[in-house]
Formats: sequence, structure tokens, C-alpha cells
Amino acid sequence: MREYGYFPGCSAHKGTGIAFGVSTRAVAETLGMNLIELEDWNCCGSTPYTSTNELEAICIAARNLALAEKTGLDLVTPCSDCYIILKQANTELKAYPDLKKKVDACLAAGNMEYQGKIQVRHLFEVIYSDIGLEFIKSKVVNPLKGLKVAAYYGCQMIRPECSYDDIHNPKSLDRFMAALGAEPVSFPMKDRCCGGSMIIPELDLALGLVYKLLESAASNGAQCITTVCPLCQTNLDAYQGLVNRKFRTRFSIPALFFTQLMGIAFGIDPGALALDRSIVPADRLLSGFIKVPAA
Amino acid sequence: METKAYLMIKVDRENGNGHTAELVKELEAMSEVEAVIPVSGKYDLMAVATVDTPKKVAGVADQIQAKDWVKGLHILKVEAAVPNPFLDEVLATPGGETLRHCHQCGMCSASCPNVGQMDYSPRRIIALVRAGRRFEVLSSNTMWTCASCYLCTARCPQNVKITDIMHALERLSVRRSLQYGRNTATMYKIFIDTIKSNGVICEVGMMSKFYFSTILTGKMNPLIVFRMLPVAAKLLSHRRMPIRAAKMKEQKQLNAILKKAQALGGTQ
Ligand code: SF4
Ligand code: SF4
Repeated sequence: MREYGYFPGCSAHKGTGIAFGVSTRAVAETLGMNLIELEDWNCCGSTPYTSTNELEAICIAARNLALAEKTGLDLVTPCSDCYIILKQANTELKAYPDLKKKVDACLAAGNMEYQGKIQVRHLFEVIYSDIGLEFIKSKVVNPLKGLKVAAYYGCQMIRPECSYDDIHNPKSLDRFMAALGAEPVSFPMKDRCCGGSMIIPELDLALGLVYKLLESAASNGAQCITTVCPLCQTNLDAYQGLVNRKFRTRFSIPALFFTQLMGIAFGIDPGALALDRSIVPADRLLSGFIKVPAA
Repeated sequence: METKAYLMIKVDRENGNGHTAELVKELEAMSEVEAVIPVSGKYDLMAVATVDTPKKVAGVADQIQAKDWVKGLHILKVEAAVPNPFLDEVLATPGGETLRHCHQCGMCSASCPNVGQMDYSPRRIIALVRAGRRFEVLSSNTMWTCASCYLCTARCPQNVKITDIMHALERLSVRRSLQYGRNTATMYKIFIDTIKSNGVICEVGMMSKFYFSTILTGKMNPLIVFRMLPVAAKLLSHRRMPIRAAKMKEQKQLNAILKKAQALGGTQ
């Protein structure tokens, strides 16, 4: 068993991205991962905090880093936004000693300390780099043969830095989907922005971005999009109806977490993968691949 | 008196040719050198250096001349540096220091998915910061329209951390209360208030507060409610929006940390 500190983040924990958290738990055992959730974590602070107050934002993130350091394990999160926020706080604490001193003083006010010993990693990175595609392949019992998938990387998992993939032309998620037996389609918008949380204050701006993604996936024959971030999934899935209304389109492309597709390929009971949380339904598309394992 | 010097450099073809990018980096690594710009003609590079007294210019020139790939050096101009407190503020934020290296190529603006909606493009906003135009920059919508997609940062040939600079500009704008009326800023405030009371985010509560407050202040068309209701209804019926707000346990501890941060003050 590989052990990791686990930070689900607000969305994948119990929010709009709950299916991500649920399906991550469901595949963890097969992957030989033990995800130890941080005790009483708080919101990472996200862009709203970073964009309002630097010191407070880093403190909010640093409390989680301190909790993770207590476990002595690297911190893994499935959310690309939490990932970049926590990772950046971690990097800045190392790069700017004056800032670190202030943050230390703040943490001390809450009887906490952070020495800077851990690393922040994205769930996909850990599965792709630590566990590896060979192992994944060995666990596939229902190859997703013929399923045309648009592998969507979004922004913050691969930019501004990525240790295991090309930030200008990522391929890891395509390879991952191929390892599950699926057929990744060419998807030129694979690393473009979904609008993230701007979907709330700037709805029409964000819908325009989501439209471009759906259009790119559909015109390349994708039957579904796979995502690595709860915000991306929500924008692509829950807002697809609004995109259709605004642009007079008829997209009906399910957006599924890579963990959900992995679970189906692993032959995990679909009930445990939270597929019913998808607003654009995926049941019919996936029914052919779901085989009930012989008892 | 803070002084700016413009140094023209001739590169020795044998030792330096073909590696301009490396030579530029080498010069930029000097603490006095602010920017290096490739030029054509009699000289190959122009280095802009900032020093605290005019006397120190000669020292910097000597240091550059000592490099084996420098064939010739000419001090073009020495002038009193114009104080630029706004630029200094931006340079002092984490990542902000990279702004010095921008050479205005425009790659960031060309990459930005939202540039069409911005008052000033990312490239222009950097030029305006350099020109010290605090009010124009901090009251613009540019940074509030940034989606933090990091495309500009990933593609900038000069490694300018543009996304981080956008975040820094948002903070400076909030600090001078120039963000008022920006919907993104309103959302951010509600988001932060939620963290201060619950420690974690509950999306239903946050979204309803946001629409309530922006509609009430006339910043949002009330018809948005009719567009958003079906989205919210679907999220609710698919059990993706718990009505009961989640809460962390040690809110007091978190708030003690934040209180200390406020006492230490400042975003720098
Ligand atoms: S891409 Fe970089 S160097 Fe070019 S204008 Fe933008 S910030 Fe400046
Ligand atoms: S990070 Fe912001 S400024 Fe940069 S390309 Fe993306 S939206 Fe534009």
C-alpha cells in the first residue's frame, strides 16, 4: 500500500464535485493507495483569497500544509485549483524567507508549525507517475474498447509547471485513457480554460469558454469528455444546458472524472462510482462497458 | 540619488555568437541589471542598470566588460531614475519581481482567452505598471477578467509570472478600494467571508448570497435568476449541493491564525 495525505477540497468532498471524491475512494483500493484524509482541513482559499490578501491566503493554505506535515506524507488532492494554491503556497514559503517568518508567526498563534517538508501533488500525477500505466493496464478487466474520449487537462494541473508532461502539449491523460482501452480523440482545446469559478461572476464570459471546449470535443467525434478537476466537470456538465441555450447548440456530451472511467474499466460496481451525479447522463453510453463481475 | 544607466554592448562573435538568450540571462542575473534588450547595428545588446549613485555606473560597466564575450561597451546615457512607487509595490509582491524582464512581445495577450473583454491586454497592463499609472491599472477590469489559466505564464519567453501579477493587481486594487462594483470582487469577498465563518465553502450559500447582493445593488440583471434556477435545480436534484453548510471544527484556531496575519498586516 502506498500512503498519501489526502485533501479532497470543498468541491470534491461534499460539493458539486462529490462524484470525484466518491470515485477516487472507489478506485483507491485497486490502485493500492491508502488516502489518509487530513484531520479537520480547511478550504485552500482558492483564487478569491490569493487575489485579496497575500499573507492571509498563504496562512489559510499553510494550515493545511502543517496538518499534512504531521502525517509525514506527501499531500495529494484531486482538485486542480486546490493543487495549484497549495503547491504555490508551499513554493513561495521556500522562496521568500521573510514571508515564511510572518507565516510562522501566524501559525504559531494557532499552535501550529510548518517546516516545509512535504510536497503537494495532484491525484492524477500520483496515479500516472507513482503507480504507472503498466500497473493500471494489469487491473483493467473491462477495456473501454471503442469509447471515444476527449481527454481534458484544463489549466492548473499542467501549468505553469509540470514535472511529468509537456506544458505546451500534454499527453499523459491521453495515454492514461488508452491504457484503459479507450480511444482518445484529437482534442485541440484540451488544455484551454473552462472559466473555473468565473462561471459565477462572469457567466456569459465563462459560457463562451465552455462552448469552445464542447465544440472542439464534439467536432472531433468525442462521445464523452474526461476531466481531472471538479470545477471543470461542473462547468462542462451542469452548465451544458445554458451553453446550448446561449449558442443554440444541442450538445449532449457527458463529462466524467478519469476516476469514474477507471472504475468502470476496473470492473468496480458502477453504483460506487457516483455516475448518477452526472447531469448530462452517461448511463446509456457506458452501459455496454459495464459488466457485472462474475460472483 | 537613484540612477539609471543605459549600456550598449558589443558581443564577441567567437565567444558569444548564437547564444544571445544565454548572454541576456547572464546579464540579467546581475542584481543591478534591470533589463537587457537585443538591438541591431553597431552594438548587439542594451542593458538597463539601476544603481543608487551615479558613481557606481562605472563599476557595473567594468563588471560587464570583464566578461570574455564582451568585445566593446559604451555608456549611452546616465540619468536620474524617476521614482515609481507603484512599480515598486508590484515588484515587491511574490512573483512580481519577474515583471522587470518583460520585453513587450505580446505573447501573453495573444494567448489570453479573455483578452477581448479586458480594458487593457496583459501586455499593456505591464506597460502601464511600468509607466506608474496606478489609477488606470487598479481601476481597470483586466485582472478581474483573468481566469488564472496560466497560458500567458507558460508561454512568456521571459518567464514573467503574469498570472501572479494579475493576482497582485487584484490585491492592490482591493487595498485602495478601487475594486468596488466588480462582480468578481464581490464574489471573492463572499467566498472569504464564508471561510472566516465556516472554514470550508458551501456553494449554495455562496451563490445565493452573491446573486442577492449583486442584483440588489443593480450590478446584475435580475433575469439571471431565471437562467440560474434550472442549473441550481439540477445540481440539487443530483445531490451535488448540500443545503446544510459544512463547517470545520477548529474555526477558532483558523481565525486566530488570520487575526495574527491581519496584525502583521500588508499583502507584501
Ligand atoms: S509574454 Fe512575457 S515578455 Fe512578452 S509581453 Fe507578455 S509578459 Fe512581456
Ligand atoms: S492567466 Fe489570466 S491573463 Fe493569463 S492568459 Fe489566462 S486569463 Fe489571460
